[in-house]
Amino acid sequence: MSLKNPQNTKNTDSRQLAQLTRQQLKELEEKEKTSWQKALDWMIMVFPFVCGIIAVAEYWMIPNGSPNKNPYTYVGFLAILIAAYLIYFAFSVVKKLMGDKSVLDMLRYRAPLLSALFLLLAGYDYLTLKTGVLTQPFVPCLNYIINIAWVDRAYLLECTLHTLRLLFLGYFIGVALGLVTGITCGYSEKVRYWVNPIIKFLGPIPTSTWIPIVMVVASSLFKGAVFIIALGSWFAVTVASMTGISNVDKDFFDAARTLGASSRQLVFRVAIPHAMPSILQGCTQAMSSACVAIMIAEMMGVKAGLGWYMNWAKSWAAYDKMFAALFVICFIFTVVTKALDLIKKRVLRWQNGVVK
Amino acid sequence: MAEKKVVLEIQNVSKSFAKVENDEVTHALNEINLSAKSGEFVSLVGPSGCGKSTILRLVAGLIMPTTGKITVDGNEITEPSPERGMMFQKSTLFPWLTVEKNIAFSLKMQGKLKGNEEKVERMLKVIGLESFRNDYPGQLSGGMAQRVALVRSLINEPDILLLDEPLGALDAFTRMNMQDEILKIWQEKGQLALMVTHDVDEAVYMGTRVIVMDANPGRVVADIKVDEDYPRDRSSEAFVEYRNEILNRLHFGGKK
Repeated sequence: MSLKNPQNTKNTDSRQLAQLTRQQLKELEEKEKTSWQKALDWMIMVFPFVCGIIAVAEYWMIPNGSPNKNPYTYVGFLAILIAAYLIYFAFSVVKKLMGDKSVLDMLRYRAPLLSALFLLLAGYDYLTLKTGVLTQPFVPCLNYIINIAWVDRAYLLECTLHTLRLLFLGYFIGVALGLVTGITCGYSEKVRYWVNPIIKFLGPIPTSTWIPIVMVVASSLFKGAVFIIALGSWFAVTVASMTGISNVDKDFFDAARTLGASSRQLVFRVAIPHAMPSILQGCTQAMSSACVAIMIAEMMGVKAGLGWYMNWAKSWAAYDKMFAALFVICFIFTVVTKALDLIKKRVLRWQNGVVK
Repeated sequence: MAEKKVVLEIQNVSKSFAKVENDEVTHALNEINLSAKSGEFVSLVGPSGCGKSTILRLVAGLIMPTTGKITVDGNEITEPSPERGMMFQKSTLFPWLTVEKNIAFSLKMQGKLKGNEEKVERMLKVIGLESFRNDYPGQLSGGMAQRVALVRSLINEPDILLLDEPLGALDAFTRMNMQDEILKIWQEKGQLALMVTHDVDEAVYMGTRVIVMDANPGRVVADIKVDEDYPRDRSSEAFVEYRNEILNRLHFGGKK
């Protein structure tokens, strides 16, 4: 018997109180908002929509400073963003009417940032297309970028896939090897004796230093790039998991041993789970190092991928293409980082409420 | 009494530790002789550094004696075994496992979980934490965590129960409740229990025997049999007398 209606919670007996959810508790203890505060909340939540209209108006009403082909693309882009916000807004309101306030609270929390995003788009358009403060075509307006991204979509997609393949191949090889070395080093003094000097020696060298050497030595540039990305990831994961494993509280091993765990189980059932936060931290670091390495590798040698595409576009003075690739890169790295974050949250859910 | 009867013998055991930072060696235990059997509840009291925890770790098989030997029914202890359950002062519940999985840990490690799920269930019921089965240790209070740790070590129905200051970190009320809970479990099963404590009251309240120890080097100075029925009255004359005698042995007896 959950407490559907927050109004009733004030007269509940203690047995019902015991079944309160966190959200209901928060509502119960919260100070009642004044009607002025409520009105302000609603205004803030409508504001992104207003800012979206402002962005459209800015684009449409102010005369262009440079010629602008296919002007509707950017309007369509804005319209999609505005529509997405409206759907989100409607969904939140429906949820609230059904008794779940949390979605709307989240929307209220995000609204100022989304408003700023629309204003930023409007400001950028004003500075580029309208006034030319940022000179065209060196810093192209969004309409150019979206148009060219659409025209060149097939090639962009090919480059994206190439980048992703290289990134994940290198990353996963590096992480897998890093886990093996890190865990064995953390656990066995003997292995650490041999591996530690290698880490100490190779560790401080930035991965990009290897690129010229690998380009000369490796049989193919692709393999060379995989090697460089893997090396960076390997290093990050090795160090993190080694520290994680060697920091395991000895009492946990003692407890596990009295409970009948074998030495194999001590590694897999105690040491590794205990070191998981540290290991995942290493995986995140490895991803950022891999992202840096792949861009450098593609700009310096590999003849495909988004980094190469950017460089190639630059040499043809196709600045709009350069920016289009930049946005795709931003998008990919954001998604990958977010995905890693979600995995981390899921695996480490036992830390919830313990470590803030 | 489900467990089999066992006899624990500690014969001329000394244990020394080498310090990490210099060449010095500390003598934690010197020529200890002790014998105990199933049905006994042996409390070990003494100042810090007297080696009482070391005795427990030796019996658990976590460390090996420098000289002498420890046997259970004549068999020398060479490694830890689920037949000697141990409970630590610090919560050693695995924070990444739920309460239920922590309790089931030992069975799982031995590959005996299949078909024994009802044992886990029973343990949860013993400590009354059925509704917390899916919580992680970080969400439990200190008392709850120690209850879980207790039944986790009991799930194998050990012949010997080793309690290393199990209640040391708890507040006074939780502590007194837990003393009764542990006694109840011990009385039902009649294992051999060895408990280390700093608290003389606790030692007298729970033990059938109190071993008083002293430090530098760690040694046994008295072996006192507590001949009182359970549950004991903490303010009875006999209880106070036992306590005073132990305090005297520890050089804290002010009045006499």
